[in-house]
Amino acid sequence: MPEIPEPTTEPAPHTDDDRSAGGRAGMPAGRVFVVTVICLVVWGLLYAPELKRSSEAQPDGLRRTVSNTILGPVVWAEDRIGVTATVNAASRALGRDPNAAVGGSVGGIPVDIDQLPTVSPEPTPSGEPSQPVLVDTPLREPTPNDPLRVAVVGDSLAAGVGYFAERVFKPAFVNVIKQGRISTGLTRPDYFDWQAQMRYIMQKAQPDLTIMMVGENDQQSIRAPNGDVVTRIGTPAWGPAYRQQVQQFAETATQDGGHVVWIGLPNSSDTRRWPFVKFQNQIFQAVARQLPNVAYYDTWDAFAAKDGGYTAYFRDGGHVTLVRADDGVHFNSDGYTILMQQVAAFATTEFRLDPKTYGS
Amino acid sequence: MLFPTTDFAIFFCIVFLGHWWLNHDRRLWKIFMIGASYVFYGWWNWRYVFLLAGVSAIAQLAGTAVSRQQDQRRRMRVMALGVAATIAPLLYFKYYGFFTVNAANAGSALGLHVAPPLIQVVLPIGVSFYTFMAIAYVVDIYRREFDLASWSDLFLYLSFFPHLVAGPIVRPNELIPQIDVRRDPRHIDVVGALWLILGGLFKKVVIANYLATAIVDPVFGDPARHSGLEAVVGIVAYAVQIYCDFSGYTDIAIGVAKLLGFRFPQNFDRPYSARTVQEFWRRWHMTLSRWLRDYLYIPLGGNRKGTTRTYVNLMITMLLGGLWHGAAWHFVVWGGLHGVYLMVGHWKQEKRRAGMLAEPPDTPLMVWLQRLTTFVLVCIAWTLFRADSVATALTLLGRTIAGWGEPSPLVTMPVLLAIGVGLATQFTPHGLAERIKAGAARMNPVALGFSAAVVLFVITTLGPRGVAPFIYFQF
Repeated sequence: MPEIPEPTTEPAPHTDDDRSAGGRAGMPAGRVFVVTVICLVVWGLLYAPELKRSSEAQPDGLRRTVSNTILGPVVWAEDRIGVTATVNAASRALGRDPNAAVGGSVGGIPVDIDQLPTVSPEPTPSGEPSQPVLVDTPLREPTPNDPLRVAVVGDSLAAGVGYFAERVFKPAFVNVIKQGRISTGLTRPDYFDWQAQMRYIMQKAQPDLTIMMVGENDQQSIRAPNGDVVTRIGTPAWGPAYRQQVQQFAETATQDGGHVVWIGLPNSSDTRRWPFVKFQNQIFQAVARQLPNVAYYDTWDAFAAKDGGYTAYFRDGGHVTLVRADDGVHFNSDGYTILMQQVAAFATTEFRLDPKTYGS
Repeated sequence: MLFPTTDFAIFFCIVFLGHWWLNHDRRLWKIFMIGASYVFYGWWNWRYVFLLAGVSAIAQLAGTAVSRQQDQRRRMRVMALGVAATIAPLLYFKYYGFFTVNAANAGSALGLHVAPPLIQVVLPIGVSFYTFMAIAYVVDIYRREFDLASWSDLFLYLSFFPHLVAGPIVRPNELIPQIDVRRDPRHIDVVGALWLILGGLFKKVVIANYLATAIVDPVFGDPARHSGLEAVVGIVAYAVQIYCDFSGYTDIAIGVAKLLGFRFPQNFDRPYSARTVQEFWRRWHMTLSRWLRDYLYIPLGGNRKGTTRTYVNLMITMLLGGLWHGAAWHFVVWGGLHGVYLMVGHWKQEKRRAGMLAEPPDTPLMVWLQRLTTFVLVCIAWTLFRADSVATALTLLGRTIAGWGEPSPLVTMPVLLAIGVGLATQFTPHGLAERIKAGAARMNPVALGFSAAVVLFVITTLGPRGVAPFIYFQF
């Protein structure tokens, strides 16, 4: 860079410009507009089924309503004249499953454990349904030959926790199964079906410990896997219905002796979200109290300012660390690391997780 | 507003019509384009438009003050003050947190009670880019290389939406004269524009996004759990990812500007075909490189004040270039490493000029050896750039030596194919692209639009669902 002779203040060469324009006659603006509109309209028609699926996966609101109003008749017509089938075939040929849920299909997140564990955490007699555990049981002792299986499950916050769980837990004693998926939650199985995915994870990997962090995207009506609204947000029925989703999720993860640390949602810079998030945290906490082998870890107070408000910084003695991302919701890498260290220590307290499995 | 979204497609159609419809009336046209650019910027957060307007106003006031000074010393002082005022918002937004945290922790380590207010300052998108353009404007007026522009010209120069968010960093004498002259609506290079836009989308949506999720994020997320092969492929994949991501963005920006009849300077010229690190910097993010050269390296004295001073100037330029990318130590170390590369390159050049070092033979084998060496050096530096800390980067580099013989499930054929395609773009003959474009230029508008739609459909279907932000938006 600085090796070019000085002074060097002439305009930069338009090398590519000159090449691309060379020898070709330009087109008048009117025709360029025709090209642009044809390109966008034809693409819109080809991509309409996918756009409609994406539109339906959005939260309720004006954008979703307008998109669905425009795309509904287009896709209906394309279905009738066979365009959808052709486009779907093209999509399959290009490697995309056109019928998969927009947020991904169950099993779409690879469970990076190649084979089922040789030792079940809580062996049950074959053929008998597993008995409910009435009190918390300790986590088993991991060995290098049979490391602990820890799944980190949930939305984008869990995706962050998953990466840093890998750093905090020692590879010799813990296999981390990262299952975070952005923009997902428990209210929209039509977008991504977490209940089915959790069953898949249990069947495929049988985690000893599942760390869950989900709920940031759940401030919306609860839908069925086919997209129909089951319980509207803002109605009295929403809380019990959401609790049922949370409970079902936790019960699946604790079957056969699995353990769950449910990480509560942290406060965010947008204080308008606080009442709803606190309500969600109460539900998570209540379910954790009710079910054995499920423990709730509170991040609200752990990452709040001294006055209880939002802060992006974490103080450890005199040392200050920026822990939150610019969006005021997520954590940065230091934040996820601190959170994961706290969760690991909490699992030691609650489930006697061996401290040798993680670094401080 | 992100380029690869339906929001932008609708926005652009409206702007395209307004732009050419008002082309004959420069006053109305400027008002319309400034309004459109502010809508584009405010789409992320409407509050940021006040920052953009504020930086523009500061730059214009500074430029006005500088242009009125005839005495050279006074002119320089006013310019320095103007530059300081223009860069102040950037320093606050980008470095406040970095310096307060480091000051608090240094004070704590020394037993002092330092308690600067710990507020989270969110970096507004694009502020680094338009601040650099604003500084170029003030300094060029000081150097008498550019006359004071009108308020509307300056506001449009800084806010013009194709370059607003991540460059290219266009100089005043490249864009403002174009703003002032009526654009020619008869000869728009639509084929060249579509080539850049669709090519940019392919690089971003298909290659960069795929490599990010398939190997780069996992490997850089926890290097200790990945094999030596995965570490090596992950680092190379990041080199390809950042090239496809950033050059893809600037290709789209240049293509969009082209459809409006504007010409932007190139930002990339096959950087991984460079034979030296000096050459790499003449091919990578070219508009930033020349900005650093013209507004930092040369004012520091460049190479006019002796060898030692040249080395010092190179190092200062690269360290500040690193810090420009982000307020974190790993960016500083990345810049410092490139500073060392450039110093060594400069030293070798000096020795060759003095006849103390033999010129390498210009054989094909030597050329490829030089390219490979440069690529490896650049990849080592990229590791520091991408990792979230210096420690993580060192762990990953350590795995490239120690982690061999372990399973490497992330190194798959699609990953290697994506890397291969990304690297192949550096060595494709220009003639091939020209032949394709010449063929497309012979199509009528309907056929051209239809063909572009099919290519767009293939790109959007091959890429993952959703829109991933561009890497350089964070800088």
